[in-house]
Amino acid sequence: MLEGLLVDLVPYGKAFQDLDHRWMNSEASFWSSGGERHFMSEAMVAARHAQWAEERERTGGGSGVGFGVQTKDGKPLGYFGINWLAPAHRLAMLGAKIGEPEYWGGGYGTDALLLLLDYTFDWLDVRKAWLMTTSMNARVMRQMEKVGFRLEVRQRQSALADGVWYDWLAYGLLRDEWAGRATLVEQLGLRERAAALGSGAK
Amino acid sequence: MIEGTLVDLVPFEDDFATYLETWMNEEAWFRAHLWERREPHTEHDVKKFIERMEKDERGALIGFQAKSGDPIGALIFDHEWPRVRKAEARFFAGDSRYEGCDEVLDALLMLVRYCFETRNLHRLDAVALPFDEAKLDHLRRAGFVHEGTLRRHIRWDGDYVDMEMFGLLESEWPGYAAKVAELGLQPSGLEPKPKPEKKDEKKDGTG
Ligand SMILES: CC(C)(COP(=O)(O)OP(=O)(O)OC[C@H]1O[C@@H](n2cnc3c(N)ncnc32)[C@H](O)[C@@H]1OP(=O)(O)O)[C@@H](O)C(=O)NCCC(=O)NCCS
Repeated sequence: MLEGLLVDLVPYGKAFQDLDHRWMNSEASFWSSGGERHFMSEAMVAARHAQWAEERERTGGGSGVGFGVQTKDGKPLGYFGINWLAPAHRLAMLGAKIGEPEYWGGGYGTDALLLLLDYTFDWLDVRKAWLMTTSMNARVMRQMEKVGFRLEVRQRQSALADGVWYDWLAYGLLRDEWAGRATLVEQLGLRERAAALGSGAK
Repeated sequence: MIEGTLVDLVPFEDDFATYLETWMNEEAWFRAHLWERREPHTEHDVKKFIERMEKDERGALIGFQAKSGDPIGALIFDHEWPRVRKAEARFFAGDSRYEGCDEVLDALLMLVRYCFETRNLHRLDAVALPFDEAKLDHLRRAGFVHEGTLRRHIRWDGDYVDMEMFGLLESEWPGYAAKVAELGLQPSGLEPKPKPEKKDEKKDGTG
């Protein structure tokens, strides 16, 4: 388990997989896929899990590293992970999906991202982390700015969402640009954010 | 077959497959497949690659040859994404004598033509390494727009290098005929190479 201030990163176990059906068919998937609307039955989601499990078995780990993200009191929120690890290039492509919209914009994602980057750079000795999002996704863009990623590529009109063309954006963070988790926790005031939550209604 | 100005696009028949055994181990191939780990490709790998592309519903492997019938290289469109009508455009001159020649540029124009005018795509992606002058030049002349640089993205010959990313929208494409008229393509006048010898199965050591 990777322990953060607002969230922890844990194995993507049954508690998470059971929620996948709802998350796959929700607004969260629309945002994470850049405009796709899924219609996935329970059976289709189960088949997907089986396929992932088989892949991991066959390749001895698969081509990425996936975590479940949960609140400090253990409520599953979604997925954070390395979707694609290219060891020959020491390059990791990241992906994220918080399935519960009421948690968006609350700092949970940034706390999770810092944990994931820490893991990616310090444990896997990766040299560059990158990810792609669309130009409609203001939350991710803001998050990139907060954590110090650079916008590297803007693929014009490559995403279609509800009939409108958007761009896919590629963001990159080189290891020597990574400020380190401790520094960013301070800079972004995550302790204060966590403390405020602790004293809140929950 | 689709006839172009300096080259024709043809199915990837046996003579191409024979050449591919050499091409797939040469520089131009690796520059067009820059994620690969530069593993040596055996005959078996080449066969598997062709089979995979033949079955691939989101891509195709197309040969291009000079007007003399001399096979030059391959066009690959891949990762076609039907919902947003886009795909990735790859091309390479297997016969390195043609590197940088207008035959290869014409092949790229023909690939764009095929993707926009036949397959009804909306957008094409393309990638080049920063020191691949010939490819950068072809992409620019074909009208691809530089959309950014993935900084120090991949390992290449002892260093971490950038990837130059390009895109072309259907709305930016004036049509094949107009593009050819604008560019004034010149044939290289290279002599066709001798046909490869047909392989004798029994000499393979398998029989
Ligand atoms: C992307 C995601 C993981 C980010 O996690 P998060 O917990 O929402 O992120 P944070 O709250 O830490 O940061 C988001 C920032 O965007 C800001 N923001 C929220 N809504 C915004 C909006 N509509 N416009 C501009 N900024 C916005 C937030 O205020 C916050 O910035 P702040 O800390 O300066 O206040 C999460 O929103 C999510 O899973 N969304 C749905 C799926 C998705 O988009 N996945 C990513 C695909 S690349």
